[in-house]
Amino acid sequence: MLSSEKRSLVRFLAIYLSSTFILFALGSYIFYNFQKHQIIDNQNGELQLEANKIAQRLRELHLTFNKPLLYPNDPSFNSAIYDLDKGYIFGSFNPKNIKWNKEFYKDREKLFYLHTLKPYYLGASYLLVSKNFDPEPLNELVDILIVFLIVAGVIFTILGLFLGRLFTAPMRESMEIMNRFIEDTTHELNTPISTILTNIELLDTLYSCEGQKEMRRIEMASKTLSRLYEDLTFLKLNHNYHRVIERLNISELLEDRIEFFQTLIEAKNIKIIKDITPNIIVEMDRNDAIRLLDNLFSNAIKYNHKSGKLEITLTAKQLEVQNEGDGIKREDIALIQKRFKRANSSEGGFGIGLDIIAQVVKRYNFLFTIDSDTNQPTKVTIKW
Amino acid sequence: MVKKILITLLFSTVAQAEEPSLLLQQNCLKCHSKQKIPSELLYRRYLMKFSTKERIKKSLLSYLKNPKKENSIMPQQFFLKFPPKEALDLNETVLEKSVEAYLDYFDVKKQLELEK
Repeated sequence: MLSSEKRSLVRFLAIYLSSTFILFALGSYIFYNFQKHQIIDNQNGELQLEANKIAQRLRELHLTFNKPLLYPNDPSFNSAIYDLDKGYIFGSFNPKNIKWNKEFYKDREKLFYLHTLKPYYLGASYLLVSKNFDPEPLNELVDILIVFLIVAGVIFTILGLFLGRLFTAPMRESMEIMNRFIEDTTHELNTPISTILTNIELLDTLYSCEGQKEMRRIEMASKTLSRLYEDLTFLKLNHNYHRVIERLNISELLEDRIEFFQTLIEAKNIKIIKDITPNIIVEMDRNDAIRLLDNLFSNAIKYNHKSGKLEITLTAKQLEVQNEGDGIKREDIALIQKRFKRANSSEGGFGIGLDIIAQVVKRYNFLFTIDSDTNQPTKVTIKW
Repeated sequence: MVKKILITLLFSTVAQAEEPSLLLQQNCLKCHSKQKIPSELLYRRYLMKFSTKERIKKSLLSYLKNPKKENSIMPQQFFLKFPPKEALDLNETVLEKSVEAYLDYFDVKKQLELEK
């Protein structure tokens, strides 16, 4: 999957799933509260039923007045009777803090029902009935809701993935077409570029050609094309490329790549200031290192002023490349690290250089910083 | 002697082990028993109507000071059998204490027990 497609899919899924989750959570919360009230109402119904039974019994006791007056006592319930002035008469319990203004109420884990009586059999004006709240139906409801949310989450994630892929399909197809085009083009370019470069070297070695200046221009153009080919191949094969991690003498490789760019450097009359510590070893793939250095130098040369300075500093911990160009706006620095983005359109190119640098740096967990501003020198630092 | 036995028989089931106070016996039950006026029925009637001891007391005192049908909560038929008597020749304090003794003697709280 392409990184841009992956990014779009992740964003879509994040919005889609979070909004779906919020909706379901809200729905579940409303449903839970509704059901909770239903459950409490059902249990309150049991209290009412018990209150009616006790009231009936109080009436019988009052009318017969057979001593002793046996007050009904169901072990599942507690009850007590109170007179008109809310004074306690009798009961199986005597709770504190009775809410006289409420018919039904819940206190901690107990449900209460305050039943008013008239006439006042046995002097009782209020009958308070209580039972322990049975949390089992509520627990079952929570379990059902959790299962529902999990199942809905799974279903909607699958649906979201399917929809997301459906929506990003046109973008994926376009990117694939572009990648195939680049692949085919680079493949077709490889042979003629190699032939040109080989023949220039042969001409240099075997014959003393009069048009040295023109030959250098051809060499320069061919090397640019060659690098472009290497960059495009790198981007295309980046995920499948088999890397050989070795102890690389980066100092030697750096000198070698500066030599490779010599023609370009001379063409722009750039002054090279080198401070390269010898025999610095970095563990990485050689091709990755070449792509990293080539793109650093290519950019540093391309965006340097004519007759400008190019400072290259290599220490045991880092590599610094600083040029004298127009600089990069501070707000553009993060942007230019993305593929195909360029801060300055004055020079040609696909804008893939810094993206390749960023990819290599990320793969090896290096630190990559760009320090620049408009009309200031640009310093690129890679720390390992 | 016979009167005593009758009173004892009448209230032995009502008050269980509790005996009526002398004040209650002299000022209320003596005459009620003699004339077969159902004291317990009266208490139940007042209890069902007024619920609290204080309210019953207030109503009873009001009636005893001025014993007329319209001051009583008992039905008209009750007075056919038990016509209103003259007001008791008791001072306020004694009357009040007698009523309190009456209400204490029949107090429903003392009769109630929790079913096993």
